[in-house]
Amino acid sequence: MVTDASTWIALAPVVVLAVTSFVLFLADSIKPGETNNALLAGLSLAGILGALAVSVWYFFTGVGRPEGLSLLADQVVVDGMSLFFTFVVASVAALVVLGSYDYLHDHPHKGEFYSLIVLATTGMALMANANSLVVAFVAIELSSLSSFALVASLKHNRGSIEAGLKYFLIGALSSAILVYGISLVYAVTGSLQLDAVAAGVAETDNIGILGIGVLMLVGGVAYKTASVPFHFWAPEAYEGAPAPVSAFLSSASKAAGFVIAFRVFIEGFPLETVVGLGIDWVLIFQVLAVVTMIVGNFAAAMQENVKRMLAYSSVGHAGYVLIGLAALGGGNDVAVMGAAMMHLLVYGFMNTGAFLFVALAEYRGVGRTFEDYNGLWHRAPIACAAMTVFLFSLAGLPIGGGFLSKYALFTAAIGAGYWWLAAVGALASALSLFYYSRLVKAILIEDPVREFDVSRQPVGLYVAIVAAAIMTIALLPAFPVVDLAQAAASTLLA
Amino acid sequence: MAFEYAPLIALLPLASFVIALVAGEYLPKKGGLVGMAATGGSLLLSIWAMLRVASGGFYDETLYTWVAGVGEGTLSLSFGLLLDPLSTMMLVIVSLIAFLVHMFSLGYMNDEGETGLPRYYAGLGLFTFSMLSFVFADNLLMAFMFFELVGLCSFLLIGFWFREDAPPSAAKKAFLVTRFGDYFFLIGVVGILATFGTAQFAGEGAFPQLAEEAIVGGETLFGFPAGTWVTILGLLVLGGVIGKSAQFPLHTWLPDAMEGPTPVSALIHAATMVAAGVYLVARMYGFYALSPTAMAIIAFIGGFTALFAASMGVVKDDIKQVLAYSTISQYGYMMLGLGVAGYVAATFHLMTHAFFKALLFLGAGAVIIAMHHEQNMWNMGGLKDEMPVTYYSFLAGSLALAGILPFSGFWSKDEILYEALIAGLENPVLLAAYAMGLLAVFFTGFYTFRMVILTFHGEPRSDHAEHPVPLGWNTKIPLAVLGILATVAGFVNMVPVAELTGADITYLSHWLDSGPEQLAYSTYTATAEEFAHIHHAELTPLIPGAIALVLALAGAGTAVALYRGPHPVAHTDKLGGAKDVLVANYYQDEYQVWLAEGLTQRVARGADTFDQGVVDGVVNGISSVSLLGSGRVRRLQSGVVTNYAALITTALVVLLVAFGIYGGWF
Repeated sequence: MVTDASTWIALAPVVVLAVTSFVLFLADSIKPGETNNALLAGLSLAGILGALAVSVWYFFTGVGRPEGLSLLADQVVVDGMSLFFTFVVASVAALVVLGSYDYLHDHPHKGEFYSLIVLATTGMALMANANSLVVAFVAIELSSLSSFALVASLKHNRGSIEAGLKYFLIGALSSAILVYGISLVYAVTGSLQLDAVAAGVAETDNIGILGIGVLMLVGGVAYKTASVPFHFWAPEAYEGAPAPVSAFLSSASKAAGFVIAFRVFIEGFPLETVVGLGIDWVLIFQVLAVVTMIVGNFAAAMQENVKRMLAYSSVGHAGYVLIGLAALGGGNDVAVMGAAMMHLLVYGFMNTGAFLFVALAEYRGVGRTFEDYNGLWHRAPIACAAMTVFLFSLAGLPIGGGFLSKYALFTAAIGAGYWWLAAVGALASALSLFYYSRLVKAILIEDPVREFDVSRQPVGLYVAIVAAAIMTIALLPAFPVVDLAQAAASTLLA
Repeated sequence: MAFEYAPLIALLPLASFVIALVAGEYLPKKGGLVGMAATGGSLLLSIWAMLRVASGGFYDETLYTWVAGVGEGTLSLSFGLLLDPLSTMMLVIVSLIAFLVHMFSLGYMNDEGETGLPRYYAGLGLFTFSMLSFVFADNLLMAFMFFELVGLCSFLLIGFWFREDAPPSAAKKAFLVTRFGDYFFLIGVVGILATFGTAQFAGEGAFPQLAEEAIVGGETLFGFPAGTWVTILGLLVLGGVIGKSAQFPLHTWLPDAMEGPTPVSALIHAATMVAAGVYLVARMYGFYALSPTAMAIIAFIGGFTALFAASMGVVKDDIKQVLAYSTISQYGYMMLGLGVAGYVAATFHLMTHAFFKALLFLGAGAVIIAMHHEQNMWNMGGLKDEMPVTYYSFLAGSLALAGILPFSGFWSKDEILYEALIAGLENPVLLAAYAMGLLAVFFTGFYTFRMVILTFHGEPRSDHAEHPVPLGWNTKIPLAVLGILATVAGFVNMVPVAELTGADITYLSHWLDSGPEQLAYSTYTATAEEFAHIHHAELTPLIPGAIALVLALAGAGTAVALYRGPHPVAHTDKLGGAKDVLVANYYQDEYQVWLAEGLTQRVARGADTFDQGVVDGVVNGISSVSLLGSGRVRRLQSGVVTNYAALITTALVVLLVAFGIYGGWF
């Protein structure tokens, strides 16, 4: 057991984020009338990058490896996986803050916006560290409640308000399901701490109640990761929300949802015990993965609205990552989970970049449909080149890391004996190429339909988009990072 | 100095390519001098490398591994150099011809005020670089890569005058026809890599050695006995050779390639493109010598091509066309020599041919300059007195081509025929190949002297022929150098004289027998005897040599008799129906066009119909089903939040019930 001081040091990334969000509230409340956009954005960025740097430093100095650090009476854990996901979440948050600096330039409530972003990031980082169901629930709620407000932050935009409300209602329902599931698990096992839950599971006879509890936990996770059939909020929320918030939710929130799923199910409900009880959560995730890949990609193919297309594509990508849970137990666990984590890392950059491109388009007053994007190449060549990289990488073409992470995911699934999961994934990817390349065609090939305002130069947005593109491409040659992801996964699976 | 500088032999022309391309417009002679300097440097370095090899040096090093195999059973792909007697000799030939062609180009291209010269010299530089790299490649894959680059360069240079109609079409044809052969070559390379795990020509574990061990060990490779599989691989690689060296039936590109500038023709025919095919067979001779079938096919194709092309050369009126068919025919001889285990003879002819064919093309180029780019021999005549340097050097080249004592072509061609005969006395297939080669000697003598007489003798038959343009030093020097070489190069391996006097003067044999044992001539002969069953009958070289000489003289004499006098007339009509067949080149182009348009295109259309109708039908069907499905999925998203709540709850209940029943929870 470690001392209190080192507890806080080990949790430094989360603590830095939490402190940053309060500093932002403070900074904004000193002079509520006049907000200094640059100061607020700079503070947020500094805090997030600080957390990011600490998590990278911890990761490479081997904190929490090979054995995770259990803290606060085992309620929280710091290990390779928590640091990995803190990195993903913080990277996305940093890009989003950079993009928001321009996006918010005439937004009246900047202070609240930035501090909510950092607060949500704090919640997501905490999700990565949660080692008990109650911490997980609190962390999920922290990030969710902040997210509801963020989605509705354009207070005079009916779409934003409506999206926020819908997101909140579905979120409330899903939280109810999740917390009910937690209570059932507690009723059966008598504990909320994951190791104790696992011990309780091994001894219980109340299989029916436990099964319902587990299924409800799956529902809660599926909501957070926007997996079918708990995905209905996602297209509405992403479309209505300010584009940087959509980027944030679809990338970071999803990754955080998955880290909860990885930890809760692998730690709390070990396969070797629950399968014997008839609670085969791998099978449930297989169903979800297949349905999510199919529904997400089919729905994306029909969209006319770019943001909505990206929203459904984000649902589809949740399906790919679900393979990471659905292909467990086939003797190839480390490779499967490592690949899923890697896909979330790459996805964090390419998907955030794509949504930030939409943010740029909204900022410039370009419309929302594919046709409105026609010929943007002539106006914004750099951003369009980056967008091409994002889209093709999302589709899985070898222009960015998205190719290799999908490849690793599918080969790992085949290696685990689940070739049909890989087959569905490959088919879904083939379909996804159709709608991604439709957008690429509109941007690069079609003739522009109208002029638009280019008077202000959104430096922050450009920096964020280019940084995301560089990372997307860099993850192709730097793909051996997958070994690190596998190392992080192996702590959990050990 | 050690062999570490040897890569410069190829890199210098590469540098001249880059310089000519980037800064050619601002350089003196538009990059021509840079090219000369580079190829001159290559020539000196090649000679130095040859001297090193002559003093017992040998170099076989991998310089750069671009795909490194990790672990057991993986492949490593690399670039490297192999400098042995064969490759250094070829390096000298290629760089010498390239140097002279550069010099000649100053007269043929610059002085004639051509445009686009930087592109021309860049092309020559890249061409030389590719060929030199091909020559010193130490593995088959590297050789293949530069073989392809050679093909690309010939495409670029044949189509140099791309604004006219014919050159681009000829360039395309050259590219496509050779590519057809290279397709098989590529499969062969992959097959060799897959079978032996290496494509190294020499050294411990080189692929010819592994193939020999497999045959000796009676192994089964890919379901075939090792010998059969080696034959298959050899024949696949031979596809590329037949395309590049313009052997029947892939020779049709070469006459069309005459549309390129004449110095380029000289380079293509003497030292680069066409020579590459034959050189490749010589380079991996240890592999071919293992397969009796492959050897017989090489010999037969060679003999047939020699006769076939020579017969077409008889009726051509364009001076470059005559030379084009003579090239096809002469490379046929080299193939014949290789196929009968006459490794030295074929290499010898490769060398002498390089000199006299470069000479003849450059001579023809000089004539063409003088004639204001007129190429029809019937409009020439009487140039002998106006252009003495050109005439005497061209005559030397012609005597060599016709194979008349003591010019170089006689010695090398005679040696090939001798080897073919002694091998043929033991094997009827090879004897047939020899017979065709022997008959071709007569035709060669005939068309060569028909060309000489029509071009240089008699009365001028046009204004241009009466007042030819005077030539500069840059055309005369290459002609003089090559003229001397065409005359004397044969003395390096006078087999009949050696036989007659007993003197040890077969220097080339000794040269090719020096170096490592694995690549030596005597090893190859022994391998061919043991594995390809090519045995040599005892026979003096004098009698076959005499027969060949008599035939050559008869051919030349017939031509002189028919076309001499101030006003020669065409005799081709006397051939009757045969003339039409010959002028139409045996309808080779027609049948190949039919193969492309009548057969391939129809099959392709059928496949297209199948693709459009059946495959696309299925795909379109799937996509309409997908779109319909997508429409349904989209309708789920009604926008009404209570619907969503209902759907989520329903889905949860369905999952609960399904998994509850499945898992036996209740």
